[in-house]
Amino acid sequence: MKFLVTVGIALALLTLESVLVQQAGLVLGRVDVTVVLVAFLALRASLVEGALSAFAVGYLLDLMSGQPTGLFTFLAVLTFLAGRLVSTFVDVRGAVSFALFAMGADLGHGLLSAFFTWLTLKDGITAPLLSGMPLQVALTGLAALGLYPLFKRFETAQDRQPGLLR
Amino acid sequence: MLSLLKRYRRPLLVGILLLYPLAAFLVSGRRGRDPNFIDRGVIALTAPVQQGLTATIDGAVAAVRNYLDLRGVRQENDALHLENLQLRSTVQVLGETRAENGRLRKLLAYAEAVPGPEVPARVVGVNPVAKLLSVRISSGEQDGVFRGMSVVTPDGIVGQVIRATGGYADVALVTDPQSRVAVRVQRSRARGTAAGAGNGPLTLENMLRTEDVEDGDLIITSGTDGIYPPGLVVGRVTHLEKKEHGMFQRADILPAVDTSRLEEVLVVGSPYSAMAPGATAEGSQK
Repeated sequence: MKFLVTVGIALALLTLESVLVQQAGLVLGRVDVTVVLVAFLALRASLVEGALSAFAVGYLLDLMSGQPTGLFTFLAVLTFLAGRLVSTFVDVRGAVSFALFAMGADLGHGLLSAFFTWLTLKDGITAPLLSGMPLQVALTGLAALGLYPLFKRFETAQDRQPGLLR
Repeated sequence: MLSLLKRYRRPLLVGILLLYPLAAFLVSGRRGRDPNFIDRGVIALTAPVQQGLTATIDGAVAAVRNYLDLRGVRQENDALHLENLQLRSTVQVLGETRAENGRLRKLLAYAEAVPGPEVPARVVGVNPVAKLLSVRISSGEQDGVFRGMSVVTPDGIVGQVIRATGGYADVALVTDPQSRVAVRVQRSRARGTAAGAGNGPLTLENMLRTEDVEDGDLIITSGTDGIYPPGLVVGRVTHLEKKEHGMFQRADILPAVDTSRLEEVLVVGSPYSAMAPGATAEGSQK
């Protein structure tokens, strides 16, 4: 159930972002909403459940990109695993610390994405991707601030134990 | 063996989830793959939502604009009336020229290259991944839009269809770093290639140093790539660099179309499947 909710949230966020980006006219300064979601999974989900959800979220991102290559599916699972590792060293509780955590995840995700794109591009032009990254990371941090309460609410709803009156 | 698998099933599953997409990426590389039934299902689910959201936002913006526009509509109406009179006289002159052109073409037995059907479409969303600059449009296979067809606006070229499903298609923009378009300078007919360089101007490549090109020259498609019909506006030359040595000169091309503010587009040309076997693919998403 948690998996389906995660996929549903990812789908809704990606669709919304795709339309908002079109309306706002931002071309390179994107908001990595999926990385925010994967960062949250890294903090809260179990290994298998989180990896499966990250896989699904990455697949959706790949699909939305117009040219599904598997890169973003791989990066989502990798970001989830790296996030889990990092979360053993840092204490992420509030919205601000989560935003910083998500920004770190987005930076790693963006750099790896640029690296793999550089590997596959004939001319290896990644300057546009890297130049847009600071804005992208900052916007992702802002999105993380706003999305954290929403994710917490969904998590609470999922963890609610069935009782007599439910 | 079975107990070992059972014991390590979780790390194994996670390993597969990590390595399977990596292997798929390394095998398919930048080409990607054709959409399967799951892809089509997800697109069929999300695209109508994108279209609905776009229509809602557009509706709200249009309502506000309409209100503001109404305030100055009388003056504008008078100005348009005058402009209409001028345009009508121009049309009459052009009609004569067109008839003359038709007679001359007939005389020369000139066969105009018909690029195929023209399908209007609306931009419903932008690809959320910065790696590939693409947009999603509201026409797909059902409307006669297929992979490889070119997408234009009255101002110039927009990009190329890289994937089409039922009622939607994804279009890679000319500004995408993977985009290459065969072009020529309208004034001197010199040929070159317009390469995408991310958000901003295109780069004029493969233009011999001896070719005649100047700042401000209009760049149009040459049609030699078999993708874009000839004669479509690409943009204007800026920042021309003519070095003392080397084979080629380099310049920026300011695109005629602002791809970050697209609304309605036209899909033209022929899909890959309809291309002649010997056709080159110089102007394509590599």
